[in-house]
Amino acid sequence: MRRQVTLLVAATTSIVLLAFLLPAAVLVARVAEARALDSVRADLQKVLPTVALMERDEVAARLAMLQEDGRQVAVRWTDGQWLSPPRGDVGADPSSSEVVGVDGGAVLLQPVRRGDGMVLIEAFVPDDQLHPGVTGTWVVLAAFGGGLLVLALVVADRVARSLTRPVTELATTAHRLGSADLTARVQPSGPSEVRAVGEALNQLAGRIGELLAAEREAAADLAHRLRTPLTALRLDVESLPAADRDRLLTDVDELSRRVDEVIAEARRPVREGLAAVSDANAVVAERVSFWTVLAEDEHRRLDVDLAEGALPVRVASGDLAAAVDALLGNVFAHTPEGTAMRVAVAPRTGGGAEVVVADEGPGLVHARVAVERGHSAVGSTGLGLDIARRTAEASGGALHVASSGAGTEVTLELGAPR
Amino acid sequence: MAHLLVVEDDERIRTALLRTLRERGHAVSSAATALSGLRQAVDERPDLVVLDLGLPDLDGSQLLRMLRAVSSVPVIVATARDDDGSVVQALDAGADDYVLKPFAADQLEARIRAVLRRASGTLDSGSAPVTVGPLTIDPRTRRVVHEGAQVELSPKEFDLLAYLAARPGTVVSKRTLLVEVWQQPYGGSDKTVDVHLSWLRRKLGESAAQPRLLQTVRGVGVRLAEPEP
Repeated sequence: MRRQVTLLVAATTSIVLLAFLLPAAVLVARVAEARALDSVRADLQKVLPTVALMERDEVAARLAMLQEDGRQVAVRWTDGQWLSPPRGDVGADPSSSEVVGVDGGAVLLQPVRRGDGMVLIEAFVPDDQLHPGVTGTWVVLAAFGGGLLVLALVVADRVARSLTRPVTELATTAHRLGSADLTARVQPSGPSEVRAVGEALNQLAGRIGELLAAEREAAADLAHRLRTPLTALRLDVESLPAADRDRLLTDVDELSRRVDEVIAEARRPVREGLAAVSDANAVVAERVSFWTVLAEDEHRRLDVDLAEGALPVRVASGDLAAAVDALLGNVFAHTPEGTAMRVAVAPRTGGGAEVVVADEGPGLVHARVAVERGHSAVGSTGLGLDIARRTAEASGGALHVASSGAGTEVTLELGAPR
Repeated sequence: MAHLLVVEDDERIRTALLRTLRERGHAVSSAATALSGLRQAVDERPDLVVLDLGLPDLDGSQLLRMLRAVSSVPVIVATARDDDGSVVQALDAGADDYVLKPFAADQLEARIRAVLRRASGTLDSGSAPVTVGPLTIDPRTRRVVHEGAQVELSPKEFDLLAYLAARPGTVVSKRTLLVEVWQQPYGGSDKTVDVHLSWLRRKLGESAAQPRLLQTVRGVGVRLAEPEP
């Protein structure tokens, strides 16, 4: 914007300056020329009586005197002979006083009628006398124009900067808010319209902060409201006779797990804030290195195939780490020691990333049910897959499970950041 | 027999706690609000307070600070909020330990016993350094020294090692470790314990194939004991 304003001012100032300075420069040249010719004309007037009345020899003598004075005057006598060499090539005889341009200047031709015929006087004015001081005046005019242009550009730049600074600050603040820095505020300044936008942005930021705080409070309140009766239920069940107690405690534990999932899901917006972004490659690499020691202890071959460079995905790093932990934990929990496993991260078509956790174990039973309902016939497998599925779907991706007798491959598709 | 004060606004939990703690041999009184709890803590001088953080009249952390101003009674905080640092806040405010709701009565009882032991000056895992063979664990400074060199542990690795070190030679099940160290009375994966044990072994210079201090008893659990000769 600053550049555009400066260019606009440069263009308009240049046009205005040219419109004034060009005619002025032409005028100056014309005035100087007219003044020089007038001066020569005045000199000629002094010679006219001599040429009109005197004899040829007297006129020639006078011409010689004039030429000694530095005047370049030539006369063509009535017989057509020049008393001294002319500067110009005179064509048809002019009927009155006339100025003709010649090499190196101009000649003023003045016909004079004598009793014995027409005499033509030619006075040469060299260029330096024709336009005395014009170049100097033009330099002054150009300098004046240049100075004005520079001044206009400086003022335009100042004005443009005062216009763009508040807009740039607005943009910076909006970017900070977009990257989840809710403390970002703009100091409203600049034109009234820009100030109004700044104030509105501040209000918006405040409102987002309030909403997130309310969300956090609501999630915490939800945890309190759900877990308090569960605690009472659990304590009550624990005091029952053993036969009923164990059966009911299993149910209470299952209920507690469900409640944890609900609370974790309700907290997702709080965890993610305004911008849930993490680097899938970095998170997976970190989690894999955490689990590697167990793989070594259990004599498992662990192949890791990471992508090159960062792979940003729309998931908070904590959520992605929990999902990867759940998938890796599943492999360790449900395949025999020594079973080979593989983890791969690759860019996903259309943005985001694809995380694959595969093993060469006996395969999951009822894989589809495990994903859809969050439980399966093999212990906590379903719960782990459910956590991963929720994470994938919240990011705009999906979870796919392919399981056979030759192994299981779980693919976590993660969406790209907004 | 210890005199316990339960400050809990939910009547059903309060009743259940009174019953279960009395069954375990404690003398228990209770309060439903923060202010009555504070008054009873001063008047009755209980041996330990079980404090719910989500009280209707005053935030539990505030009550804890007020209580700490007038009394050094041990406090175990019970909270449903495990997300926003409220546990850390409560521990900073002077709580001695915490349990996450929904907790099991046995879990609360174990913590009450541990805190009471510490409060009575008995040296245990809560205060005194423990030495197992070449390994010394100091719970107060959270420092671990193995064969003369300090070992850098993650917070969870330290908690796990400290829990095992407090019971040297005793086989502890992974389920118990999940409940006591991870505070997961239900759910959780044994493999979480396994991977932390692998890291601990790695940092203590041993392996699962050749364990020295951290010994796995297949199908039962794990114990921390001096290496067998």
